[in-house]
Amino acid sequence: MIAALPAASMPSAEQRAALRRVVLGSCAPRRAATWYRRALGLAPTVADTDTTRNGGDEALQAGDVELRITDGSAVAATAVEPNRLVLNFVVDDIVEVEARLVAMEAIWVRELERTPWGIIGTVLDLDGNLVQIIEPAGGSLPWHAEGHAEGHAKGKEEHP
Amino acid sequence: MATPPLGSILLGTTNPGRLRDWYAAAFAPDGAAFSEVSPTMFAANFGDVGVLIDGRTDIGHKNPEPGRVILNFHVEDARATADRLNGLGVTWLVELEERDGGWFGTLIDPDGNYIQIIELEQGAS
Repeated sequence: MIAALPAASMPSAEQRAALRRVVLGSCAPRRAATWYRRALGLAPTVADTDTTRNGGDEALQAGDVELRITDGSAVAATAVEPNRLVLNFVVDDIVEVEARLVAMEAIWVRELERTPWGIIGTVLDLDGNLVQIIEPAGGSLPWHAEGHAEGHAKGKEEHP
Repeated sequence: MATPPLGSILLGTTNPGRLRDWYAAAFAPDGAAFSEVSPTMFAANFGDVGVLIDGRTDIGHKNPEPGRVILNFHVEDARATADRLNGLGVTWLVELEERDGGWFGTLIDPDGNYIQIIELEQGAS
C-alpha cells in the first residue's frame, strides 16, 4: 500500500482520472439490471444493447457513467457490508421515483427526507447494495462542486 | 422520465483520511485536493462523478467482498499512470496489460477495494 501522500504535494501534468464505470457483481445480473431499468429508467448503453457481446454482462448508462452488472458468482447473494458503497443518483422528480420504488416493493433504508440540499431517500437494490436517490434543492449538490463544501457540512446521521 | 445520472458514489471506510490521501495521490495528480464536507467526509470529482469518502464505524477495516464492486477509472496514459502508481508502491491485483482495444490494470486500494485503470485506444468503447 502507498504512503499517505497529499495530492497537493505532488502536482504533475498528468490529468486527473475520470470515473467512467462502476461494475457490480451480482448472482443474477439480468434481474439486477431489470430492477435498475424499472426503478430509475436506466437504458442499455449504446454500445452494449446486445449483451451477448459482453459475455452476459448488463450495461446501463447513468449519465456519463456506465453501470455494468456482471456475473459475480463469487459474491454472496446479498452485500455483506452495504455501507461500503452507496450509489447516488440525481433525479428530477423524486416523488415519481419513490412511487415507482414503492410499487416495486423496494426495501427502504431511509424514506424520503427533506434536507438543506434537497430531498433524499435510500433503498436496497436486489443484491443488497445501497441506492440513494437525490433531488437537489437547487443547483449542484455541495459535494459535487469542489471547493464549495464549506457551509454545507453534513452530519453523520444524514447518511445511510 | 429523464434518465438519472450517477452523480456520485460514496465509499465507506474506517480510515477516511488514509483513503482520501490514497485516491488523491493515485488519481488526482493535478494536485487538486479533496474538499472536506465534514471532518470525516471528503469529496472530489473524477470526471463528472463525485467520489465521497465517508468515515464509518459499522464496517470492517478491509472489504470482505472486493469482487462485488469494481470502480473503473479512465486515464489518458495508462503506462504513465502505472509508472507513477508503482512509484507510490500500490498493490496490483492484475498488472497493466494491453488487451481488448486498450490498456487495463487492476489495483487494490488501502481498504481492499478493487480499482481498474483503463486507457482505451482510439475508437474503442
